[in-house]
Amino acid sequence: MAFAPVLHSEWLKIRTLRSLPGALLALFAVTTSFSALAGTDGSSDPEFDPLFTALSGVLPGQIAAISFGAMAVSSEYHGGALRQTLAAVPQRGRWFAAKVTAIAVPALLVGLITAVTALVVARAGLGSVARELTVAEQVHAVLGCGIYLMLIALFAAGLTALLRSGVATLSLLIPFILVVSFVIGDAAGTVADFLPDKAGQIVMYQTYDGTLGPWSGLAVTALWTAAALLAGAWSVRRRDA
Amino acid sequence: MTSIDVQDLTKEYGARRAVDQLTFRVEPGRVTGFLGPNGAGKSTTMRLVLGLDRPTSGTAAVGGRAYATLHEPLRHVGALLDARAAHGSRTARDHLCVLAASNRIPNRRVDEVLEETGLASVARRRVKTYSLGMRQRLGIAAALLGDPEVVMLDEPSNGLDPEGIIWIRGLLRRLAGEGRTVLVSSHLMNETASFADHLVVLGRGRLLADTPMREFIHARVEPRVRIRTPDATALKTVLARHGHDAVQHEDGHWTVHHARVDDIGRLISQAGIPVLELAAEEGTLEQAYLDLTSTEAEFTAQPQEA
Repeated sequence: MAFAPVLHSEWLKIRTLRSLPGALLALFAVTTSFSALAGTDGSSDPEFDPLFTALSGVLPGQIAAISFGAMAVSSEYHGGALRQTLAAVPQRGRWFAAKVTAIAVPALLVGLITAVTALVVARAGLGSVARELTVAEQVHAVLGCGIYLMLIALFAAGLTALLRSGVATLSLLIPFILVVSFVIGDAAGTVADFLPDKAGQIVMYQTYDGTLGPWSGLAVTALWTAAALLAGAWSVRRRDA
Repeated sequence: MTSIDVQDLTKEYGARRAVDQLTFRVEPGRVTGFLGPNGAGKSTTMRLVLGLDRPTSGTAAVGGRAYATLHEPLRHVGALLDARAAHGSRTARDHLCVLAASNRIPNRRVDEVLEETGLASVARRRVKTYSLGMRQRLGIAAALLGDPEVVMLDEPSNGLDPEGIIWIRGLLRRLAGEGRTVLVSSHLMNETASFADHLVVLGRGRLLADTPMREFIHARVEPRVRIRTPDATALKTVLARHGHDAVQHEDGHWTVHHARVDDIGRLISQAGIPVLELAAEEGTLEQAYLDLTSTEAEFTAQPQEA
């Protein structure tokens, strides 16, 4: 079977389920509104990073990206839906690749639009500090932010395929993002830089002191994502549907 | 011609053998009823044929090929496994369009099967608003989507209203009449008897019978003849002379055991006995099935897993 019809089918699945475009809309709305709020908070903190402040709406917003990735996969694990899917597309590897692509592309596009909007909205509030940001810095941050949101959605997608449950994935990842990463993120220093979320967020800073740079940080998140997707693909291919 | 071929198929889940060295063939042009109590391995066998579960040993093929090697399989095999497979938040039409897209089936065909299954007027409603019967119809619509030569339906009459049950009978007969291979599982005997030509019976994962339905019943249920006559003495005499054993019932009619209506009809006509009623008492599939299972000691000795 060719890849294009399978991808078309997977894309239709995302488009026709109200909750999935809804999750992407939430990603945009939550991120931009939190960034707008952060922009109005003129800080005199010496560690104040205007670029990360402008994009800080991503911290709550990424939960919507995680939900998007998890729900897009978990819808296959209800009432034997996966059986019907795999009866239509018996090549499981190809099916999973199509599913992943159908999640990645909209997540990346919405991620980029969200990052640009968040930056623009926050700059209005930040005023003079924001004007010191160079074009290159801002382009890097926006690109990195879009890629980060895509990677984190795919990380959730892979984990959902492995655990075969969206609930399990969300109850693992959301506390992790909100609590674990937040708490030990400040405490542990260098080790925390290698956590899937922390590593990928480095690209959104103007200056960052740590073992990882912006792109190597993103690469670490990409490795986490690749591992989750490989584990998910293994589960899809090896287990009885 | 496309048949379903199951060869030495075995599937174990841990220590439990769900399917045990099963060999049978489902031929085109007739409806094959797939019988057995819950947990006998009917659904597992269907999943194995569709390549959804991996067999522990043995093979299953459709038209001589493993299902997973079929190009655009929905155009060859249509299956209803679980009516809950459609996502509740999608409309019925969207659900079918998603399936159709993966096998490059045009959306025109989606509207055709919606029409055929009587869902056209509710096609744009979300599936969660559907009754179980409507979900079954949607599952059948999905099975028919690719106009397949092979149709496999797992308990299709579940939740259907009386009108739906009559509809599905006609549908199955028509599909077989068009030369398609039709395999329909059920645990309802009377329902299966109304549409099946052939039977494959499972018990505890093993094959108990693979025969035409009429033969299955005739081999297991004694034929009987029902007679009503005003001249009981003459009837008794004639029957006794030919070695038949007749029993009179309270309402006055007689039952002749182990006899065919063709033979008895001739006898009493030659003897000039007035007949008010003469009929064959056909054995039912249910009787034949119970006879089969009672002879399978192991089959009845242990409780069935659900």
